Amino acid sequence: MTNTVIVSPDLEALLQNGLNKSALTCLHCPSRILNPSVGNYIEKEFSLPSMTKQKDQTDIEKHPVKDFLKVADMFQFENVGFSHTADGVKYLTCADCEMGPIGWHDLQTKECFVALSRVRSS
Amino acid sequence: MAKTYDYLFKLLLIGDSGVGKTCVLFRFSEDAFNTSFISTIGIDFKIRTIELDGKKIKLQIWDTAGQERFRTITTAYYRGAMGIMLVYDITNEKSFENIKNWIRNIEENASADVEKMLLGNKCELSEKRQVTKDRGDALAIEYGIKFMETSAKASINVEEAFYTLARDIKAKTEKKLEASNPPKGGHQLKATEPQRKPTNWLSRCSLL
Repeated sequence: MTNTVIVSPDLEALLQNGLNKSALTCLHCPSRILNPSVGNYIEKEFSLPSMTKQKDQTDIEKHPVKDFLKVADMFQFENVGFSHTADGVKYLTCADCEMGPIGWHDLQTKECFVALSRVRSS
Repeated sequence: MAKTYDYLFKLLLIGDSGVGKTCVLFRFSEDAFNTSFISTIGIDFKIRTIELDGKKIKLQIWDTAGQERFRTITTAYYRGAMGIMLVYDITNEKSFENIKNWIRNIEENASADVEKMLLGNKCELSEKRQVTKDRGDALAIEYGIKFMETSAKASINVEEAFYTLARDIKAKTEKKLEASNPPKGGHQLKATEPQRKPTNWLSRCSLL
């Protein structure tokens, strides 16, 4: 595990009243993940497995991420994929190309957290 | 918290392995991005949002995640399902023959009024075709369900198929709602079946 905290993009530009100012799309394809003003910004450190493309590598690196948008109800997403449960959570992916994890789903609170650094603010 | 949608439908994708069930959910490319980690643990379900007649509809779509290899799917998987996409591969005779087994499995395990639709996938592979479109049509008529040939690879009819299934579930849901909350005041409308547009599932496998 590395210690580098992913530096978040300019929060000021992305947020309005603590909510995402613009819609979020996938970094890899045009799939819309979240509509504007649905996600609540929250600073919370969480280690997400890396999004690198499949090659021969077997061990998955995790990266600490701290800037998230909290989505209270999974049906507030426009398009999103949920992985099978691993490490006690479900990881979130793009619904169309399955790139991820772009965040995680807490099985107890049912809340979802989208990493700002892993999606595009359009 | 205000609800941001009008309806929520749980859909299942069912059919033999290799028929391209997973691929019908990739809208912008034929393949997944294939992140090492995600491919290893696999996808449980997806949420999609569509709009029909001004109503916002959330689709929660479940894939069988390999359970189909055992040719049977457990009751738990069917619980709460409102729509099922039965998928076969037009280049694989066996996958078509197995649709009957899948329908039997559904009848034994799913709710009786689950809306079903038949998809003949990979229709871009015409030179390898083993199942004619007429046979797909005939099977769908036999079971009283709708049918479309699709190509996830060439993005033919996939979106249309999901809209069609969602539209039928929506109509059924609204009919049920009406039946349980008859309009107050005035005279009751006679419960006649609304004139349905003749469904045209004869449309050839072509780019729309």
